[in-house]
Amino acid sequence: MWPVCSLEIEMPEEQKKECLECGKKRERWREDFPIGWQGDNYVTRREMVKFLALGSLTIAGANFVVAGLPHIVKASPMPRTMIALASSIPVGGSTLFSYPAEEDPCILVRQRNGDLVAYSQVCTHLSCAVIHKEQENTLFCPCHQGYFTVEQGRPYAGPPTRPLPRIKLEQHGNEIFAVGVEV
Amino acid sequence: MNAQQSQGTTLFTALLVLIGIGVVVQLWLLSASVDAVFRHDGRIPALAAIGSVFLFLVNGGLLLFVFGFDRKIRER
Repeated sequence: MWPVCSLEIEMPEEQKKECLECGKKRERWREDFPIGWQGDNYVTRREMVKFLALGSLTIAGANFVVAGLPHIVKASPMPRTMIALASSIPVGGSTLFSYPAEEDPCILVRQRNGDLVAYSQVCTHLSCAVIHKEQENTLFCPCHQGYFTVEQGRPYAGPPTRPLPRIKLEQHGNEIFAVGVEV
Repeated sequence: MNAQQSQGTTLFTALLVLIGIGVVVQLWLLSASVDAVFRHDGRIPALAAIGSVFLFLVNGGLLLFVFGFDRKIRER
């Protein structure tokens, strides 16, 4: 325990009173509030170990909550939206659309082999909009020179490290539908 | 401070450090779990939760050891 009397504040001697415990002169208010606050702040090793073990239990619980969260909160089903006409996109060309909401920009690309692929247009680095470079057959983020492959949306140059979310497509006749997002 | 007290202090400090390291690793597992949940990866949070519980059991075991050691010293 820390001595209470070591914390005396400078004040006139006549306002001080003699401490019954240690004989030193102390402020009068200490008689009314005889609490050693330095002692309150003193933490023993035992208390620290208990505190850490309690923290450990809390973190383990939080980890279980985080692990169970995706099973508790089910994602709402993705809408099925008509995004473009297949005949409107030439080989090597691209078009923009929004999916699943209006504020989620996406890009639809017809590859050189004729297959259609679609990705979120939001760069996984710092959320700039990626564009399709037809000459280089690549998806390019102009903000920080990030490059993604058209085939799989994987980053292969620049700062991005995560692939672009892929939009699941379905084609019925000439109409192309977006039906989901693969992260 | 006699030799037994000195040994007890060393033991306490060592256990405190071990438990502290365990808690830091748990925090790392928690942050990795949250990151994985945002990436829609369901495997990592489950493994991290198991690892976190294991670390808690280790920490709890160390805490019980401390209490047991303490009791033994006081009984003497």
